[in-house]
This record gives sequence, C-alpha cells and structure tokens, in this order.
Amino acid sequence: MVAVLEKELETYECKRAELVGKAKDKFALVKDTEIVDIFDSELDAIRAGYERFGNVPFLVKQIVEIETPESFTSNLMGI
Amino acid sequence: MPSFTTQVPNLQQVGPVVEVRIAVGTALEEIERNAGREIPTPAAAVAMIDTGATGTVLREDIPQQLGLNPVGVALISTPSSANVQCYRYAVRLLFPNRVVVETLAIAAPLQGQHIQCLIGRDVLKHGVFVYTGYIDQFTLSF
Repeated sequence: MVAVLEKELETYECKRAELVGKAKDKFALVKDTEIVDIFDSELDAIRAGYERFGNVPFLVKQIVEIETPESFTSNLMGI
Repeated sequence: MPSFTTQVPNLQQVGPVVEVRIAVGTALEEIERNAGREIPTPAAAVAMIDTGATGTVLREDIPQQLGLNPVGVALISTPSSANVQCYRYAVRLLFPNRVVVETLAIAAPLQGQHIQCLIGRDVLKHGVFVYTGYIDQFTLSF
C-alpha cells in the first residue's frame, strides 16, 4: 500500500535498532538507502527533506522501538 | 483567539462539518515560491471534526490535486482493519475566519459522498472544541 516509500522503509527498518540506541524519539530523514540526518522535530525534518530533495517522496520517521498505530473509530475511512 | 463558529442544520444527523481549504505545507510553499514555481491552488473540501480520529485524514485525491508527494508513512487501525500503512502529507488546513493549522495528514479512501477530510485530535490538541448540540452549532478556537 505504500510502495512509493518501500525502499526508505526498508532502510529505516535495517537501521532501526542502531537508531533507537542513539536517537530514540527523534526524527530520521530517509531517502533511498540513506539515513540523511536526525532531527529533534518532525517539521524540521520535513523542511530539510524539501530543501535537499524538493517535492519528491521521502520518509520522515520517528525513531521508536515499537510503533503504536493511530486509531480511527470512523467507518468512513474506507480501509 | 482565532476561532470560527458554524451552524449545521440537524447537527446530530450531519455531524460537525465545515468547509475548509487544504493547502500545501508552509515549508514546501516557501521553497517553491523562492524557486519561482507556481503554488498549487488550495483544494476545497468538506471536513468533519472527528474526536475519534488520532490524526487528520484527507481523501486520497486531495494530495494528488495539490501535487504533493508523501513525506512519511503512518500505521493505522480502523474498525475493520489493523496495522495498515498509509502515506502522510504535510499540509495546511484553512478554516473559516482565516484560522490556519499546519499538520501532517494521512490519505485514505474516505468512503461516503460528502466528506473529503476528517479533522482529528492532532488539530484539536491545539484548541478548544465546543459542541452546542441544542442549537445545532459548534465552535473551534485556537
């Protein structure tokens, strides 16, 4: 369902344990097979992604051991 | 305090809906403007304020209308599915009375005829939501 960012998700997953050890709860900017940088805020990471790569897909991911799903009670979601 | 108040006939049946416009996020807008590129016109949408939503949701065609690319992935659970991955997009929500909220929204099919956006608790966490049911009115203040 998220094929456009598949490579970035794989990159993040491969390095997740290492990232959790050194930057837990911060935000990783990931492009292709590279962890580009780590940021304190999500919006700073997104701004850096746009500045560096432009309006193309990139991944900003909070560095956590276990990801908690966002919950939606509405039956309008269509998922 | 920026705020807007909306009157919805039969609020109980329809829900707290408001006409909004969805614009690209500030960071992208600044970069595109500095590069001399055209900024996409904000997309009009009917939004429902949904206290049962962790985050804001856009119907999938809206990011396409704005020419946006995903900047992340969210893991979500709904009444009918668990741990589904959805794209996230950086956007600004333009409410009535020039109330503007910057957020990250996920994209989903959003079944149904009249709703293109759910305003979730990522937005509500910044403000005060007053639902005055007996006069079919609600107010959102920031």
